[in-house]
Amino acid sequence: MTLFSLARKNIKGNFNNYFVYFVTLVFSMVIYYTFTSLQYSEKIQESIELSDTMSFMFGVSSIILILFVAIFILYSNSFFTRKRKKEVGLYAILGLRKKTIAKMLFYENLIMGIIAIVIGIILGTLLSKLFAMILIKLMGSIAEVDVGISILAITQTVIVFMVIILFTSVQGYRLIYRFTLIELFYDEKKGEQIPKVSLISAVIGVILLVVSYWLILKPFPDEFTTEYLIKNYGIAFVALVIGTHLFFRSVTVYLLRLSQKNKSRYYRGTRIIETSRLLFRIRGNARTFTVIALLSAATICFLGATYSGYYSNEKRAKEVVPFSYSHLSKGPEFDSQVESIIKADHRHPIKAKLDIPVIQVKGILSFQLDYDINPVKLISESTFNKVANALNKDETVSLSGNQAAVIQPRFTEYTKSVFKGENITIQLPQGSSELPFVHMVESNVLPFDYPDFFLVVSNEMFAKIAKKEAPLTYKVYEVENEVTAQATSRKVNKLVGNDFQVSSSFYTEYKQGKEGNAITLFIFGFLGLVFLAASGSIIYFKQLTEANEAKGQYEILRKIGVNKKDIRKSIKRQSLFVFGLPLTVGILHSCVTLYFTSNFISNLIGINLIFPILMAIVFFVIIYAVYYVLTVNTYNRIVNK
Amino acid sequence: MNIVVEAKQIKKVYGAKGNVFSALEDIDLTVMEGEFVGIMGPSGSGKSTLLNILATIDEPTAGDIVVDGINLTKMNEEQLSAFRRDKLGFLFQDYNLLDTLTVKENIILPLALAKLNVEELERRADEVADKFGIRDILNKYPYQISGGQKQRTAASRAIISKPNIILADEPTGALDSKSATDLLESLKDLNEQDKATILMVTHDAYAASYCNRVLFIKDGKIFTELVKGKRSRKEFFNKVLDVLSALGGGANDVI
Repeated sequence: MTLFSLARKNIKGNFNNYFVYFVTLVFSMVIYYTFTSLQYSEKIQESIELSDTMSFMFGVSSIILILFVAIFILYSNSFFTRKRKKEVGLYAILGLRKKTIAKMLFYENLIMGIIAIVIGIILGTLLSKLFAMILIKLMGSIAEVDVGISILAITQTVIVFMVIILFTSVQGYRLIYRFTLIELFYDEKKGEQIPKVSLISAVIGVILLVVSYWLILKPFPDEFTTEYLIKNYGIAFVALVIGTHLFFRSVTVYLLRLSQKNKSRYYRGTRIIETSRLLFRIRGNARTFTVIALLSAATICFLGATYSGYYSNEKRAKEVVPFSYSHLSKGPEFDSQVESIIKADHRHPIKAKLDIPVIQVKGILSFQLDYDINPVKLISESTFNKVANALNKDETVSLSGNQAAVIQPRFTEYTKSVFKGENITIQLPQGSSELPFVHMVESNVLPFDYPDFFLVVSNEMFAKIAKKEAPLTYKVYEVENEVTAQATSRKVNKLVGNDFQVSSSFYTEYKQGKEGNAITLFIFGFLGLVFLAASGSIIYFKQLTEANEAKGQYEILRKIGVNKKDIRKSIKRQSLFVFGLPLTVGILHSCVTLYFTSNFISNLIGINLIFPILMAIVFFVIIYAVYYVLTVNTYNRIVNK
Repeated sequence: MNIVVEAKQIKKVYGAKGNVFSALEDIDLTVMEGEFVGIMGPSGSGKSTLLNILATIDEPTAGDIVVDGINLTKMNEEQLSAFRRDKLGFLFQDYNLLDTLTVKENIILPLALAKLNVEELERRADEVADKFGIRDILNKYPYQISGGQKQRTAASRAIISKPNIILADEPTGALDSKSATDLLESLKDLNEQDKATILMVTHDAYAASYCNRVLFIKDGKIFTELVKGKRSRKEFFNKVLDVLSALGGGANDVI
């Protein structure tokens, strides 16, 4: 029997143990392959507005993915090798030279890695097409999917994973040299001990968690500086990480110990067994639990935030760019050129066409406002009402004399009360006039351009000022079914140039937002999946190792009269704790963080985050549930035959 | 006196057609209440198989076993588990304590599983702990105590549910001679004072000399039986040794 065939036999024999790891490995390869092939896909990029961003984002996220996967593979491998120490010791006793055993371990890892790569690439070429279609659907594009067999992506995937697998194979090779024979043989029973209850670290843990939650949930201060951001949330983050670790390390120990105090509950049925087993294992799991809880919190957060961004995109775009097309009038010849382009598009007939005269003046507020208001843009009452009519909005104003209404600057949260009773002094070439604020309205007129400070004034007032300061005229068009006006928008954009900080056509803003959100959603979705699969697989494997160690203990239970059903129930309860605890903490963390982000985001775009967050959480729970069922079944098979 | 265990025509066959190995052949066994019965025999004679079958951990190929009036062969898994919990006490060579439970928790485990109330449970735990002199280690964990203490813990667990019969499988096998003697004395006290019925498998003649009656098994059949009667323990020990030498093969480790 050659060394190679021995290695092959080992893999076959251990395949049951490796299965979940193997599936996770293949899955992460498929995702990596998909990311890289999307990064290099030319056809998809041609058809979208954000092609550079897309390539860049997939490049970056494939690097993040590979870092994560590398850690996962290294961790799992150290797990496997530790588990097999005894077997290695046996080979050594049978007289195999260290070098030979090391070679065998090396081959084993290599064979498995190569098989995983082959399967990963095959599945990758098949599935990446499907995934790319999902992405295109999310982006709302109509493009031919040229993803599938991409030589570039295949080469990159093979090289990257080969490097990782070679590295871990070398680790396996070195294992045998690191230990003496006696160490290899007597490793299994290290004699785990009951963890001591440390009330101090439990209390510190709780305090840190409370402090970090408090810091996160605290309302924004009036002055929102970067320094505050870094200080407040930096401390909150550190407290959260340490607090979470102490929570798993000490608080759970304390709580389990406390639950033992209630004798009539504790001494009843199999609870005594579960509680004590969990108590013994908790220290060994604390670090894994911490990482999993924090990472799931982060993933749920990102997923929730992106998801909501994606679904509120149209509303946001309509706010940023109110009309289908807007441009500054540059003489009749130019204007008619633009108009003819828009008119030529018969599939998007014009619903409304308006001229919007705007006067830019210098103004001084009667109070302090942390917003740069100059130049103030004045529009007339009638213009505002015409716009409202053209965009089917109910919000109209009626002003007289000096009265002025402010349009809420976009991306701010100023309320009516800020302006109430205050006024603004408009400076004109001859003298100045004081305009009292009587309203605040929220309908925007032109595409966003900083500073976004519009004032609506009465028609007479507007006419009066217009005599001294000539207005600029903007031409705006609203067309039917603007969300599909790709070709015309491109032409208009090209002709008009940069009149505003954002695009001058609604479609471009809408589509870029949609694509950007779709790409992030796609990336976070799949990164989240890989992370979930990996963390689930780690817990699964830990539980399995524990099951193998606990075989004897369960046999004792069977002997003293616990039936199979009760043992299964006991395994279920234990596994529920092991899967449920980090997940619950993760969800709690993410809810708190999302509460903060939603404050932050909805300030900017004003949307409801509850549904998307719920979706992300449900998604997480379902996947963990699958691993939970897998774990219970395998655990049961090992100890409860 | 009542019959506690009555086994008739027990057969145990391993393997499939063509390659059959018979571990037990038509064994009959009756144990009366209050008896301390030893089962001896060379390695592979089938003594542990017999004990496992009586313990309902293993199933006989044929034959009937009645314990305390209940026919074991007609019960399902769940009933058997409940039966083990309520009617049997176990003592094993490797103690079979749960590492994650304290001594006390190990002892009361059968009662906790039977969902007895806490007061009764605590009372009985103290009672058996006193009997075996392990009161001061009740809150220790198995990894903190010696082999002899572990076996006394296991013995306490075996008797706490007041079982109809205590089944012991080489209980002294892993103990030094002092601890072994202590344990055997305790079992003898239990038998004589509390009228506990004990069935003990051993291949140690010294341990067997504590029994009232010793059955010898060879190649799956009952070879002979010795009753202590009015003999002293020393005389009985010599008798056991005689039978063992007649039995031969594999039973060389008499002391």
